[in-house]
Formats: sequence, C-alpha cells, structure tokens
Amino acid sequence: MADIVSTSVPPTRRPRRKNKISAAETRTAFLFLLPSLLGFLAFMLIPIIASLGLSFTNWQLLKPPEFVGFSNYIRLLTTDPSFFKVLGNTLFFTIEYLVLNIVISLTLAVWISSLKRGQQWFRVIFFIPTFTPTIAVSVVWLLIFTPGGVMDYVFQSLSLNFPNLLLDGNLAMQAVIIVTLWASVGYNMVLFNAALDMVPQSYLEAAKIDGASAWDRFWKIRLPLISPTIFFGTVMTAITSLQVFDQIYVITRGGPGSSTATLGFAIYTNGFQNYQMGYASSLAWVMFVMIMALTGFQFWLQRKWVHYDA
Amino acid sequence: MKTIKSLAAAALFSTALATTAFAQDQVNLTWQMWGSDEADIAAWQHLADMVTEQHPDIKVTLQTAPWNDYWTKLPVLAASGQLGDIVAMQSLRMPNFYSILEPLNERVKADNFDIDAFDSSIIGGMSVGDEVYGLPYDVGPWMIFYNKDMFAAAGVAEPEAGWTFDEFVETAKALTKDGNYGAGVTPQNYSLIATALGDHYITDGKLDLTNPGAISAAESLIGLVATDKVAPVVASGADPGAFVSGRFDAGNIGMYIDGPWAMINKIDNVDFKIGLAPLPRGEGDLAAATAGSGFGISTTSQHKDAAWQAIQVLTGPEALDYLASQGRALPARTAQQATWFDVAAKDVAGAREALEYSLAHSATYEITDNFNAVENLFNQYFPQAFAGSASAEDTMKTIQSLAENQ
Repeated sequence: MADIVSTSVPPTRRPRRKNKISAAETRTAFLFLLPSLLGFLAFMLIPIIASLGLSFTNWQLLKPPEFVGFSNYIRLLTTDPSFFKVLGNTLFFTIEYLVLNIVISLTLAVWISSLKRGQQWFRVIFFIPTFTPTIAVSVVWLLIFTPGGVMDYVFQSLSLNFPNLLLDGNLAMQAVIIVTLWASVGYNMVLFNAALDMVPQSYLEAAKIDGASAWDRFWKIRLPLISPTIFFGTVMTAITSLQVFDQIYVITRGGPGSSTATLGFAIYTNGFQNYQMGYASSLAWVMFVMIMALTGFQFWLQRKWVHYDA
Repeated sequence: MKTIKSLAAAALFSTALATTAFAQDQVNLTWQMWGSDEADIAAWQHLADMVTEQHPDIKVTLQTAPWNDYWTKLPVLAASGQLGDIVAMQSLRMPNFYSILEPLNERVKADNFDIDAFDSSIIGGMSVGDEVYGLPYDVGPWMIFYNKDMFAAAGVAEPEAGWTFDEFVETAKALTKDGNYGAGVTPQNYSLIATALGDHYITDGKLDLTNPGAISAAESLIGLVATDKVAPVVASGADPGAFVSGRFDAGNIGMYIDGPWAMINKIDNVDFKIGLAPLPRGEGDLAAATAGSGFGISTTSQHKDAAWQAIQVLTGPEALDYLASQGRALPARTAQQATWFDVAAKDVAGAREALEYSLAHSATYEITDNFNAVENLFNQYFPQAFAGSASAEDTMKTIQSLAENQ
C-alpha cells in the first residue's frame, strides 16, 4: 500500500503533505478519543496512581492518612499470616480455572461447529450465563451448595456420603471454580467457535484428501490456525480469574477458614470491612504486579505456540 | 358568587403558604440510616415526617442501606466528605466512629435537655468517656425467640427465666426431629453466649480468645452444631444471621437469638405463635449483653442546630412510642418501654418477663477496636468447627493469632 501511494506522489512534496494530513488527522483522532480518554483518566489512571500513593500510608478512612513508607509491604511479606495463603489460593484458582475453562470451551466450540443444525441455538444457550450477573448466578448456586441444600439432598438420596463443598476446606475452592466455569465458559466458547468457522474449508478438504484423520486435522490444522484467538482468550481469562471476587463474596466469604480467600477478596476485607485502605492498596498493587507479570509471561510464551500466518 | 369567593380564598391561602415558606428558611437535612426491608424503611420514613410536622422548616431526607452495607458505606461517605447531617450509630460501633460525630454535652446543658429520661446504660453506650455523641432510640438485650407451636407439638416445656445452658441444650434436643432443628446459631452469637455464660473473651481491653473460659464458651456454641446436632450448620457465605432468622420464620428452627428490634419483621413473617425467653445462663447469674443505637450529628454538617432539633424529635417520646408499637425498637426512654410489650409484643408469650429479667441482668457487650474484623473471622472460621473438622480450641487460637495481626 505505502509503495503505491509514494510512487503516485512527487517525492519532494510527499513528506510535507503527509505530515499536514496526519497532523489534522491526529487532532480529529484525539477529539474522537477524548471521551474515553477522560474516562480512562478519571476512573482508571488517577485512581491507580492514587492507590499507589495510598499503599504507602496507613489510611483508615476516618483519619487523614499518614505516610508510613514501605511498612505495608513489609507487613504483607513478613507478619501477615494470611498473605501467602491468599496468594496461593489466587494462583490455585487461576491455574485450575484457566486450564478447565480453555479445555471445556474449546471442546464445546469444536462440538458445536461440528453440528449440522442448531449451531446458533447452542451458541445462545451456552452464552446466556455470560450475560447473567455473576452475583445472581452465585446466589442461585449458593442455594444449591448450601448445607442441607439441593446438592446435599441429591447426594443423600443417592446414598452417597459426599462432604458438603462449602464446609470442607479442601473442596470449597472447587465450588467456586464450578460456579465460575458455568458462568463464563460461554464467552470463550463463542470466541473459539467463531474462529473455527473462519478456518478455510479448503485446507481441511485438502488435508482430508491427503488422508489426514479428524484427530490430525484438529491438532495440526484447526488448532494452529485458531491459536491467536486461543491466546487472546487465555490472556483475558487469566486476568479476570486473578481478580475473582463476586462469586467468593456471595458463596463463601473467603471461608471456610481462609480456604477461598483470594487477593480480590482480601483487598475488600481489609479495605471495606477492617477499614485499612492503605494496606488494601498495597495488596491491590501486589495483584496488579502479578497480573502484569503473568500477562508478560504469556506474551513471551506465545512466540512458541501462536501462529499468525493464516 | 360562591365560586369567586372560594377562588379568592384559595388565592389568599396559597399566597399565605408561599409567604410562610419564604419567611422561614427551609433546612434540608440528610439522615444516614440502616434499613433492610419495606417495613423497616417505612418506619424510619414515618419518623422523618414527624420531624417536619414538629418543625415545618426542617425537611429530613432518609438515606438507607442494609445493616451490613451501612458499615461499609459510612466510613467511605465520611472519608469523601459526603456524610449526611444525621448519622445513625450503634453503641458497639461508637468507639470506632465517634470522631465523625459532634460532641453533644454542651448542647444538652445549654438546652437543659432531660437526658435522664433515657436508660442510663444506653447513654453510656452512646458516650465515649463522659462525652455523649448521640441520642439513643433503642436499647435491648439479646434474647431467645422461640416457636411456641413447635414446643406444643413436641410436648416440651417452654423455657423460663433463669434457665441454664444445659436445659437449653436438652430443650433443643427434644425439639430436634422430623427435619426440624431445636436451635439456630450463627458464629457471631459467640460473644452473646460467652457473656451469658459468664465467660470473658476480652482481658484488659485486649482480645483474649484463648483463655479457658473463652474456649469453653466456644465449645458450648460449637457443640450445639457439631456434636449435639441440634442446630443446622451455617456456611461462611451469605449472611448467617439472615439464614437462621429466615429458617426460624419458616418454622424450621425452634429457638434462635435476636433482639427486641426484630419484632417488626417477626410479626408479619411468621404464622405461628412466638415466645420470648432470656438467654440461658451458666453456673452463675445470667449476664445478658445489651446494645442500642441512636442518632448523632456529623461534624461536617452545615446545619448542626437543625440537626440537633431533628434528633430530639427522632428520639422523642412520640417517635419512640411509634417505634415500640411497630416492634422496631425497645425505646431507650424508660417511660416508653411498656409500649413495646403492650403493643408490638402483646401476642408474644413471656415477652415482658423475658425483657425485664434480661434488663435486670444486663451486661456490657465487650468489644475491641477491631471487633469488626474479629466478627468476620468468626464467620470465616467457625463453619469448619461446626462441620466437625476443627476443634473449638484450634479455631479460637487461629482467630486470635489472625486478629492480633490485623
């Protein structure tokens, strides 16, 4: 494109004219971007910087904040007995949920794209939970999981002696993962399904003629071709799962014990229940750094498995 | 002719109205209050209207949030300078929040306001040191609410004042059958049970959950669920208090712990007869923890004088009489207390005896500065003990160590 344009314009006048156009365009672009830029400044950038400032104070809401240096971070890493537990819970949730989410949504997407009819219907059905508020979804699941609730009833009538998920410290996180999967698998499913439909039919037909099995066609042609979409889905899912809060707030409140207390929940408890905004801000920054690091790691990793040459 | 006359009268009347409105400066006050359901909020709105009735120049706008959210919202409003003029405050939270409230001693003195008409214990609860920070509207001990019909069906004798914790457990055992539970308890009931049994979880102002008494109180509470299985297990999610209260309303739980302020909902929500009994005691006399709430003036208010007038109406004899008749509060004014059991609790068996006995044996609800955090830890850690997977002692040790590091 650029070459064609440059040959049609005399070389001497080209740079000036291009600059003139792009300066005007930049102004217009800036004007169009202004509303979202203002929103970004007011609701994202300024609060983010403010929270960094707060993380070096002991602000307890009712009294003016005092500068305390790194003591919040020191407390977090040395004296707070629950911090590493909370960090571990967050990573555990993220890894298990991320793997399950990608596997299940990809399986569903492949299955739906293989259907002869009713594709749209299934897409809608699996997508519905995604636009249902997480709080509402969680309340319904709470009624299922609660001691003496539907799930206990089902296990009892099957004469199975299965512990209640919300009362067992080792299983409570699984309850949160089940709810989150149910609520958000549909998003990645629709994404992957759309990507699968974009894979040129001719490639698959050619492979079929060459004698490739369905299994090979999936792993060697379709999967590499949709890998940019899978990468996008993985990054976004990882970010949201590190921030998990709603489900935990409704279903477990971090319990039993501290088995489901994640970073997001710990920020809420410290900030809005114990009124320690300074400490909560330092936790928020730990979360921010973690998300940055994990996303950076994923971008580094993508060079090994994502193919952009469709 | 007649029409012209009435038109003229109407015109005159409306000018008169307009002039009075202009003559007196209209003051708009905002009132920060908790309120969970329609009945509750309607009662508070009625009180707000009462203020305008008595002081036509003052208009009070009610802003409510459910109980738990209120305590999240309040410090945020205070920090962002958006606090209303009148702020509702509970005695247990006064030590944390008094700094946002205007001291009232001077106003009380200047107006010769009769503060002795209030129950003295709740004036203490509304004070820090000798300074009063709010006028109380209610006071109340926690008591046992019981389902009278369930007792009759099971042929179990109803509880009497002065009953012991062992008798409470026996009663609960006798009621636990056919899928119903004799009792319902929440992790936050711990402080009430411990106080009632004469045990202390605070020593010299510091949290002390691991002394033998504090642990044995935890064992008593947890035992109801874990070993005796006379109370349902409550998970840490949702709101355990609402869960237990809801199952009581549904007729699924025989006895549970609540205060006189809960009567407003019980009257409408249940279709069985309710009885009231004091909390069970331990070896010694009962110590019934009490709490109460009132209204203060925010330090940031622009209309402190009007707010002072307004809270006098909100906690005045008429307002408290109304709250009592609705079953929303046991009045903080001793003269109005009879309305609560004569009107709101007139069909409730033993209401008067239970209340008078509890008040006669009332005790301070012990708290620390970070009791909010401690109660959250109760909610988080007790369910494991309820389920039998952690001992009471270990649970208390864990909570103690976590609370110390908050």
